Formats: sequence, C-alpha cells, structure tokens
Amino acid sequence: MAADFRRLIEDSREMTRRSFLAMAGWAGFTVASLIALYQSIRWLYPNATYEDPPAFKADPPSAYAVGSTTVIIDKRVVVNHDPNGFYAINLICTHLGCTPRYFPDATSDLVLAGTQIAKDPDTGQQATKASPVLPGFKCPCHGSRYFRDAVNFFGPAPRPMDRVHVEVAPDGKLLIDRSVIVDRSFRLKV
Amino acid sequence: MSVIRAAIDEMFSIVGQMVTSVFRHGLPLTDKIAARTALTNFVLHIHPVRVRRSWIRMSYTLCLGGLSFFLFIVLTVTGLYLMFYYVPSTNHAYQDMRDLQFVVTFGGLIRNMHRWAAHAMVITVWLHMARVFLTGAYKKPREFNWGVGTLLLLITLLLSFTGYLLPWDQLSIWAVTVGTNMAKYAPIAGPYTRYLLIGGRVVGDNALLRFYVLHVVGLPLAGFLLMVVHFWRVRKDGFSGGL
Repeated sequence: MAADFRRLIEDSREMTRRSFLAMAGWAGFTVASLIALYQSIRWLYPNATYEDPPAFKADPPSAYAVGSTTVIIDKRVVVNHDPNGFYAINLICTHLGCTPRYFPDATSDLVLAGTQIAKDPDTGQQATKASPVLPGFKCPCHGSRYFRDAVNFFGPAPRPMDRVHVEVAPDGKLLIDRSVIVDRSFRLKV
Repeated sequence: MSVIRAAIDEMFSIVGQMVTSVFRHGLPLTDKIAARTALTNFVLHIHPVRVRRSWIRMSYTLCLGGLSFFLFIVLTVTGLYLMFYYVPSTNHAYQDMRDLQFVVTFGGLIRNMHRWAAHAMVITVWLHMARVFLTGAYKKPREFNWGVGTLLLLITLLLSFTGYLLPWDQLSIWAVTVGTNMAKYAPIAGPYTRYLLIGGRVVGDNALLRFYVLHVVGLPLAGFLLMVVHFWRVRKDGFSGGL
C-alpha cells in the first residue's frame, strides 16, 4: 500500500496523461466516498423530534403553598415555593438520567445507620440522630439522594439537579421552561 | 398389475434422479465418496472434509462456539416468530409483549425461548472466548480470527442491549436511559453519540424504532457476515486442538 503510494508519487514527477487521470479518478472516488460517509451519518440525526416541548404551563402561583414541594411527574419537574419565592427543578438524576422520587423521609435510615449527611447548603437544615427526618428525593436506579431543593447528599450523583426558569405567563399560570437552566440563587417572586 | 409396477419403477427412478442431483456421488460407503460428497455439497462443505477426533475433543472445546451458533439460530427463528405479533411503537410494544405472554398460543414458550437463549448466548460467547484464551488458541496463525471473535462478542452484547428495550417496560426504558447516558459521558462525541443512538433527547418512539431496526436487521446481519468469516477461518487456519 505504502509502496504503491510512493511509486504513484515518484511517477508523478514525470506525469503521463494516464497517471494523471488515474490519480484524478482515485481522488474523485475518495472525495465521493467521504461525502457518502458524511451523509450516511448525518442522516441518522433527526432535525425534528416531536418530543414534549421543554416549556409548559403549570398551575397559577396561588396553587402552591409557601414551603410546599410539588412533583409534576409527567413533565419530570418539581415546583418549590420557599419564603423567598418559586423555583423549579429538572427532576433528572445527574448521575445517569433516571427520575428521582419524592419521599417525606429521605434521610433517617442513613442517619440512624451512622452515615454523616452534609448540611443542606440552601436551607441550612441537617439531619441528626436527634431529628433524623428530612424530606428529599431518592433515585431508584443507583440510590442517589437529594435534599428537597435538589442538592445531592448521598450516592453516585456528581452534582445537584438542574434548576430551570420559571415565570408567570400572561394568563397568570406558572410558565416553566426546562431548556433554560438557572443558577441556585434564582427565585421568582410573585 | 404390470402397469402399477411400471408406475412404481418410474416413481423410484424420478426420486433417484432427484436424490442424485443433490448428492452426486451416491451413498458415502467409502471415505473417498464421503470426502467427495462433503466437497461438492454447499451445506456440508462448511465442515472440513476430514476432522481428527482429537481436534474436537469435548473436553478441549467444550463445544462453546457451536453452542453459541446454535443459540444464534434459535434466536433467529424465535425472533422471527415474535416479529409477527410485535409492533415497535410506544403505543403498542408493551401491550404486544403482554399479548405474546398471555394471549398468543405458545407465545409464552416462544418469548421465553428467545429470552433464555439470549441470556445463554451471552454466557456461552464469553465462555468460548475464555476457552480460546486459556488454551492459547488466539496465537499465530489465528490472531485475525481472534479479532473477528471480539467483534462477534461486541455484536452479541449489542444485540442483548438493543433487545432489552423492546418490551418497553419500566425496567427496559430506564436501563436504556442509563446505558445511553453512559455514552454521553464520553469526551466531545458523547452527547452526539447519545442523540444519534436514541434519535432525540429522551428514550421515546425514535429510540424504540432505532433499537428495533438494529436488533432485527442491522446487528444480526453484521453478525452473520462475521460468523461466515469466523467459521471459514477456523477451517483455513486449522483447529487448535491436539494433533
């Protein structure tokens, strides 16, 4: 192969019409093959997917009491209303993408077994042996756990779940856009 | 009477001609005829003309390659049966799987044959690879066939993975969510690979269809072609067993 190629180059020093045409032919074949390869891979990337749109409307803000956590399971979103305002969590485990489930008690089994659980950086709450129960999320796939505000505290999850944008739509309902990720300080005040 | 006798004779000669048109050398009564029969018959020529008893000693090969191929045939046939009742769409797949299990006559038998043969094939292919490794059968001049074998292992595992999604129950959806999210962790190409694999951002209709097409056409076809090469090389490179 390499020897053939070298001969091709050496021949090209005294290029004949025949060798020029052979080279041009092979070059054309190579380019056409590369284009065909690109096309066959590009073909597999859908331009439109008809999946559920990332933005959707939830209930009006008044439907969520202060201090409440509401799971909208069809959309894989959580609406939290804390004293500072509203925020929404993308309910997708940051480990490998399963859907964590809400539990009123996500900590006591660990705490009573002696596992140290970090203080929740958002709420400042900590589960201790004296009061071991904190609400949160547990992922059914590999056991990651999150505080109610999406901060991970146990299992393989590498980081907190994403928080996404919330606003009030013109009709007064909450408009949640799962494609816009916001930082932890985000709150919607109503 | 003689008319009937003539008819029977005629029938025998027609059948005889049909048989000899397939097997040209008559009954394999001698080694020479047997060898010629094997050489000139498409199905039989997959076998070497001569095989030494020691080459295929059960305690050496454990018949693992043959078992893997046998299971592949079982999976092809039962898979074909399943395709008559299974529609790869998120609206139908789970219900079709339930129907196969509980409504279709012998559906449970066929589905379970497919399921257990699939599990067994993964095991026998791994064990076959372990046997080849432990007996040193991958060494010169059989390195190329070891390479083909690793590709066949990969295809076996991908068949197992793609088939796992098809029942479309919670276990399969989240297993594939997890599996394709692992692909996403790869540097640079990761997210593109996942999008290409499942044809979107979540495991949905596109993912089911893609996995189905790969499971019933793409991967078996690639596997079949590699098996042809694999078996051919086993013959041509020679058996690794005793002399």
